[in-house]
Formats: sequence, C-alpha cells, structure tokens
Amino acid sequence: MNKEGQGLTEQVWNLAELLDRVDNDQELLRDLLNIFKEDFPRTMQSLESAVAAADLKEVSRLSHSLKGMLSSLGATRAAAAAAKLEALAAAGETASLRGALDALAHEAERLVPELNAYMAEVRR
Amino acid sequence: MKILIADDEALSRRLLEKTLERAGYEVIAVENGRLAFEELCKPGGPRLALLDWVMPELDGPAVCRAVRVRSEQTYVYMVLLTSKGTKEETVLGLESGADDYLTKPFNAEELRARLRVGERILLLEDRLVEARENMRFRATHDPLTSLLNRGAVMDLLTRELHRSHREQKSTAIILGDVDHFKRINDTLGHLVGDEVLMEIANRLLGAVRSYDFVGRYGGEEFLVVLNSCDPAFAPTRAEEIRLAISHRPIQTAKGPLDLTMSAGLLLSSEWGVKTLEELLHQVDNALYQAKSAGRDCLRIASPAVRAEPPPAPLPQSVRLRH
Repeated sequence: MNKEGQGLTEQVWNLAELLDRVDNDQELLRDLLNIFKEDFPRTMQSLESAVAAADLKEVSRLSHSLKGMLSSLGATRAAAAAAKLEALAAAGETASLRGALDALAHEAERLVPELNAYMAEVRR
Repeated sequence: MKILIADDEALSRRLLEKTLERAGYEVIAVENGRLAFEELCKPGGPRLALLDWVMPELDGPAVCRAVRVRSEQTYVYMVLLTSKGTKEETVLGLESGADDYLTKPFNAEELRARLRVGERILLLEDRLVEARENMRFRATHDPLTSLLNRGAVMDLLTRELHRSHREQKSTAIILGDVDHFKRINDTLGHLVGDEVLMEIANRLLGAVRSYDFVGRYGGEEFLVVLNSCDPAFAPTRAEEIRLAISHRPIQTAKGPLDLTMSAGLLLSSEWGVKTLEELLHQVDNALYQAKSAGRDCLRIASPAVRAEPPPAPLPQSVRLRH
C-alpha cells in the first residue's frame, strides 16, 4: 500500500530530468520524441497481441523494450507499469497480464498528451 | 576514441549515441549482440563498449563471454547496461567478463566518469603491451646493430631448416667475418669499430630479401640465412652479399675505411638431415678456409666424399672431378 502511494506522487513526465539528460539539447529532445511517437504505438500494438495470445516470452521482450524507452524519456510512472508487466510475464502470471497492460495503457493515455503539448510548444 | 553501443531499443540508443558524441567519442551504434561482437572483432575496432543486457541474438553477458574467449587480442573494456541492478544480476554480469555495469536510465555525468575509468585501464594496457614488445625486441636483437642476436637467428634457422627439408628446398647459410677487424678496434678505437659494425649490418640487410635473416653471430661475425634459395644461384648471391661490404668505403668518424669480408657458404640440401651444430661447424670450416686462402673470398662447404672404393668402375660425378 505504501509503495502504491509513493507511485502516485511520481510525475507522469519528468521533463526536468530529461532536459538534464540531454544537456538541454532541444534538437536531441525532439529527435527522441519523434522516435517515441513512431516506436511506442507500434510496440503497444504488438504487446496487445502478445497478451491476447498469452505469449509470455514476447510479452516479456516487448514490455522490457517499452520500459527502456519510457525510462529514458523520463516517463517514470509508465516505465514502472511496463516493468510490472515484464515481471508478471517473467513469473508466468498469465492471468494478471491483461490488468497490467490496461494499467500501462492508462499511463500512456496521460503521458502522450503531455508530450504532444510539449512538442507543439517548442515548435512555435 | 571509438566506442561501441549495443541496444535494441532505438530511443535509448539515440540518447546514448548523442551523449557520447558530445563527450568526444567516435560512436558505433548497433541493435543486437551479434553485430556488437562483429564490430568488436574487427581489426582497429572499438575498445570501449556499452552493452545492453537484454538484446536479441546475443545478450550483453553473452557478448562479454564471446569477447573474453578470444586470446592474444587487445583488451576491450565493456560496460553492461542493466535496468534492474539486483545483486545477483550484477554478479552474473561481472562474472561473464564485463568490467563494469550501469543501471538505466543512466546519468550522463556518471556514464562519462565510468568511461574515463575504462580509458585509464586501456591506457594501462597499451603501456604494458609496449613494454612487453620492447622486452621481446631486446631479448632477440643485438643492441648495437639491431640485427637478430645469436640465439634468435639460431632459432629461426632451426625452423627454416625443418621447413626447407619438408618442402624439399634448400636453405643457404652464409657465415661472414670482417677481415682484420681487430686492427680497427686497436688502432682507431672501439667507437669506430662500432660504427663499422653498424654500417656492415645495414649493408647486409640491404643486400638480402625481406624474408631472409641477418644476425650478429659473434663480435665481427654475421650469419645470413637465405630462405628457399635456388642452389644454382646461391654462390652468386653469397658473393653479392659479401661484396656489399667492400664495394665502397665505410665512412667513420676517423675517415673512410676500405674493408673486406671473408665468408663460408653452405646449402642445406647438400647435407641431408644434420644437426644445426654440425651445419654451423661445417660453414665455420668453410669460413676458415676462406681466411686461409688470403681472405676477401668465399668458400663453399660441400660434404666430404666418402673414401669407399666403388664396387665397379662407375663414372664419377662431374662435381668430384672438378
């Protein structure tokens, strides 16, 4: 319970951390967001199919990839949701995969608009 | 400095790539372990590597193990990137041959600092390799002339004799001795004597092919080994090498000196299977004969003809009669 509570206080997108990581390089930041826009939906789609097929190995691989992508971007909460899914797949908890995927999708729904808003702002 | 990044996830790879480029590295980025291993095996390939743990084809630890299996190659400093960083995982990663590990998402400053540690290790390795190569050179070369020393030229000659016997070819051994060398040392001093020896070494090296050997056998004695030498041309080649010393004066601090060399020649094909000592003894005899004959000449060591009387009056070989 305590852990969950801590999770809630974390930001959807830690822009400050990311800017620090890219050394305030706006061009690189835009680059990364573009890669994300392309790779994230595609990987989510594959993950959806893998969960539907209860393909544990594939769920593990894809959620690992998402975890890396999201954590690099500073999307801490979504990254944690992807990590949870990866752990469940590794533990063979097929029954819990759907719920964890929904949680990840929910985090993504909160994250993507923030990223889009940022991109629209810097483009101006 | 070159650095390899292996990560199958495009966003993290791009971020790493840019971070390292900014730190001044020449970055090679690949998306799986097999490509990473290939890059690390290329001659002149990167010696620093950042490897993601989970990757298709070969994972990070498998790349580390594969790289460590190669022997006699330059050291590659490898850092594993992990997302968990549990104690078990860390131990497993280091046991696979990684030098260090970093947890993702990385902090740019820490990453750069850890790579500098890697560069220090590589610098240390470079220095050790250089020192080893220097020692190896010193152990096999004569310090004055930089020619092969006696031990090294004997080793090479032994190998060469085996090879020419196996391939049914001939190795020519030339033992040359500078005529009246002692006089130079006695009248002009050892420094001039050293100058002469260095120049003779240069001339001998200039007179042979790149795959022949020249060694300093003793004080003013030089051993030249002509590999796979056609026996018909060997005397001419030996004579050319000998004349390289006398064809023009040797310049020294005390003025130019006209010097000559006496030499013995032996062709391994004429002697069958003999020990190295026996062959060297024979070529030394030939050199002695050249000295006795008034110096500045070449004598060939040919096997002595057996004194057994032939059972029938067979015609003798052409060589025997001449």
